[in-house]
Amino acid sequence: MARYAPTNTPIRNYAVAFFLSVFFLYADITHQTFSPLRGIMNGSGLYIQDISRSIFENISFTFSSLKQNKYLLQENKKLREQALQIGIKDFIEKKDNEKKTQVSDFQETLFSTLKTSDINVFKIASIDLRNYFCCSSHKVFLHNPNKIKIEKNFSVFAGTSYVGQTKKTFLNFIEVILLSDNEHVLPIKSDLLYCDARGKGKPMLISCKFDKYDFKNQIGDIVFTSGLGGIFLKNIEIGFISEVIPITSDEIEIVITLKTNPLEENFYGIISIDTNEI
Amino acid sequence: MKFSNHLIVISSVIFGFWLDDYLNQFSIKYSIELNFGFLIFSYWVFAMPEKIQSLAAMLYGLAVDLFFSNVIGYNMLFFVATSYIIHLYVFRFRIFSYFQLSVFFSGFSTFYIAFKYLLLSPYNYSYFVLILSFLVNAILWIGVYLMMRAFRRRIF
Repeated sequence: MARYAPTNTPIRNYAVAFFLSVFFLYADITHQTFSPLRGIMNGSGLYIQDISRSIFENISFTFSSLKQNKYLLQENKKLREQALQIGIKDFIEKKDNEKKTQVSDFQETLFSTLKTSDINVFKIASIDLRNYFCCSSHKVFLHNPNKIKIEKNFSVFAGTSYVGQTKKTFLNFIEVILLSDNEHVLPIKSDLLYCDARGKGKPMLISCKFDKYDFKNQIGDIVFTSGLGGIFLKNIEIGFISEVIPITSDEIEIVITLKTNPLEENFYGIISIDTNEI
Repeated sequence: MKFSNHLIVISSVIFGFWLDDYLNQFSIKYSIELNFGFLIFSYWVFAMPEKIQSLAAMLYGLAVDLFFSNVIGYNMLFFVATSYIIHLYVFRFRIFSYFQLSVFFSGFSTFYIAFKYLLLSPYNYSYFVLILSFLVNAILWIGVYLMMRAFRRRIF
């Protein structure tokens, strides 16, 4: 009888490790057991990114300074410092004004579209690009330096339309689940079409299934929120019908392309209280 | 194995996953999912089976899950399973050619990707992605193998 080659394989240890991993995986998928831990890790990662970015900028600034001619540096030190100070002040003022203009423009859009003034504007911290292009999970993280209390399931607005809703907050960040996330469901309407559109897990796409014979719309029709879920205000344009895919002989899938591309947005608005307009 | 050596191994695995994170944003548009992190881990187990066993595989998986995954346990599970299978056939691998090794490890990494899609993102599951990723990862394995071998000989 042939002998097995000796290996470093104590199967009991592997079995224990295997079942422990399966238990962790099951607990996390079904009950989100490790969600707070992941939140802390995400927040820490974002902090590290911010810090490393500022360190890198400082180092590159130092190196570029060293490259300057030493004699000229001494000769013109005072003048350059003054000029630099003026330049930096000017730059900061300009950027500050640009930012203020962007924020105020965005706020104006929010006020005129949503007709409510209870809106907080947040700057984007990061978008989960790893999953955004390949997988079902589509998330954005927003900076919340003032730790404004934001509850779960508040609608999030960017550009000229809704982009998602808040999921949770951790450290100084707010996690937002985008409309295109596979777990997100958005009640929509377009003329006679009413349905709950689920994120397709692909950038800027949501879809809903519908009875073929009840479908009276056309490709290109504008789609609005219906407000039936109680989270999003009604009659906000969110996109247009871009594709109709037959599933069975009686059923079709309506694909809706969203109006706002989250990759192009810097500022996100969150309505902080419930309004009576839903 | 010393703790500092474990740190070197886990750092290289984390670097691989970080590279995947960065490159997959672009490669996924061409239906290719790179898997450097998993290939690097497989290399370490393949090269030093007596030093990386069940506990190390599980802890590496946990670290990767914490930094890169959407769920805890996924990389743990795969690292433990991969480690076990590599340990089981480690002496047979010694007589495999580069081609056979690249097919085996690429196949394993494709299984990893397929399982990830099935479990976490079933709507995006695509055989086309899997086939292309298999071919690309098979080529990548050769590069990972040669680079990591040179690295290992210098460090250990």
